Amino acid sequence: MKKLFLAAALTVCSLNTFAEVAVIVNPANANQIDANTIKKIYLGKSKSFADGMKVNPVNQDSNSVADEFNDKVVGKSGSQLNAYWSKLIFTGKGTPPEKLSNDQAVIDFVSNNKDGIGYIDSAKVTDSVKVIGKF
Amino acid sequence: MKKLPIAIALCAVCASASSYAEVRINGFASIVGGKTLDDDTTLYGYDNDISFKNESVFALQLSADLQDKLSATAQIVARGENDFDAEFEWAYLTYEFTDELQLSAGKMRVPFYRYSDFLDVGYAYRWVRPPQSVYNLPFSTYEGLSLLYSSQIGDWDSTLQGIYGSYDGTIAVVSVNGDTELNDIAGVNWTLSYDWFSARAAYFIADTSIAIENDNATAVALNELETTLRNAGFVDQADNIAVDEDDGSFLALGFSIDYNNVLFDAEYTEFEVDNSALAKQTQYYTSVGYRIDEWTVHLTYENNDDKHEKSRYNALPAVPDLNQGINLVLEGSKAKSNVYTIGTRYDFHPSAALKVDFSRFKNDITDTETDVVAVAVDLVF
Repeated sequence: MKKLFLAAALTVCSLNTFAEVAVIVNPANANQIDANTIKKIYLGKSKSFADGMKVNPVNQDSNSVADEFNDKVVGKSGSQLNAYWSKLIFTGKGTPPEKLSNDQAVIDFVSNNKDGIGYIDSAKVTDSVKVIGKF
Repeated sequence: MKKLPIAIALCAVCASASSYAEVRINGFASIVGGKTLDDDTTLYGYDNDISFKNESVFALQLSADLQDKLSATAQIVARGENDFDAEFEWAYLTYEFTDELQLSAGKMRVPFYRYSDFLDVGYAYRWVRPPQSVYNLPFSTYEGLSLLYSSQIGDWDSTLQGIYGSYDGTIAVVSVNGDTELNDIAGVNWTLSYDWFSARAAYFIADTSIAIENDNATAVALNELETTLRNAGFVDQADNIAVDEDDGSFLALGFSIDYNNVLFDAEYTEFEVDNSALAKQTQYYTSVGYRIDEWTVHLTYENNDDKHEKSRYNALPAVPDLNQGINLVLEGSKAKSNVYTIGTRYDFHPSAALKVDFSRFKNDITDTETDVVAVAVDLVF
């Protein structure tokens, strides 16, 4: 529960101090990943990293970081993305990345999963993850 | 009853795997209210009294990711037009050979049109309903196999799908209820897309049989003519009326653009059942839309033209009465119409949209116009 309160507090803070989105991977992930690859991963078009490892992306749950990422990296609004994914979900062609509730949850996920990729407020970056791009 | 074995098989797979399967539940719904604007007119299932039932749909999808690249998917759909009786419309297993290649087996949607795969998911497109002149085949699912190959050709995404299977059910062609069997349905569906542009081509064939029941005047006349021809020994002419193991073919071409805030779609389709009383159908639509933040406005023009080749007429000049009868049947299967639709979509919520469409249908043969207005709330969850 403590984590949840912390998470809620962080989310509130991030609304005010939000600047840049940092896309993060596990420090052990040595793949070169450019903006276009990130976009493809988040549209379900790329399912593996260059070295063949399956990619395991996570989203944030309809907060300002997610809006910023969708707008700057994926190039679609929340509604457009929802429509895009509904086409894939209901035809059995794809599943959208799981949604985590905040930056800390994404950091935890990415630092614990070698195949993980996520995005957070760049001010929240810690040593346990590797930044592959800021937008 | 046919649906039950598939459902049971699917449940069996789910149950046996339940110890480690991750089951996802997604859903979609459309609540649509609509009516025609004049007395004694009907269109898209509406008449002059407002109905909230006709086009409303509620659906749940269950997907279970089993281990080793196997997944099971079932879609349960309740349609207002069927009193919201829930039915398994899709139920299939998918095996992923690689990231690019997957094979599905079971009951699935035939990918006739660009929007076929998510025809019922109103949230996925801008209209209340996709253009009906084109989206008009009276059946949409089949039982069989689908092989899907997704790849990248330079900057283009390519999706190539091959299907094989059959359909067995009751559809409304000429008669209201006709037992229909489509065997050896086979075909390909290829989509190429580049960021804001997408083009597709599809071609299907099927061995087509439709039993025309005597449940309306046209059907009675058609059946009487066929029997008369057959009894008089004109077997070829009779066979050219009946829809019995005839070659059916379907072609679709289309492209769509979603560039900045400009949307454009066009699809062209041809459908034909050789040597039958069914006229060759040619349809197309073009649609433009413009997105302004959470709003989309759109305008669509559709056209439908069903007719037989001239060479089909005067098939029995030696017997004027029967010749006349054949000509009447061929002439009776003609149709020519167009539709203008203007509408708007408002994304008032991240998972829900409100839509209003106004459509004017013009029948060029009877020279009559029918107007329909519909308001819809579409959601995904």
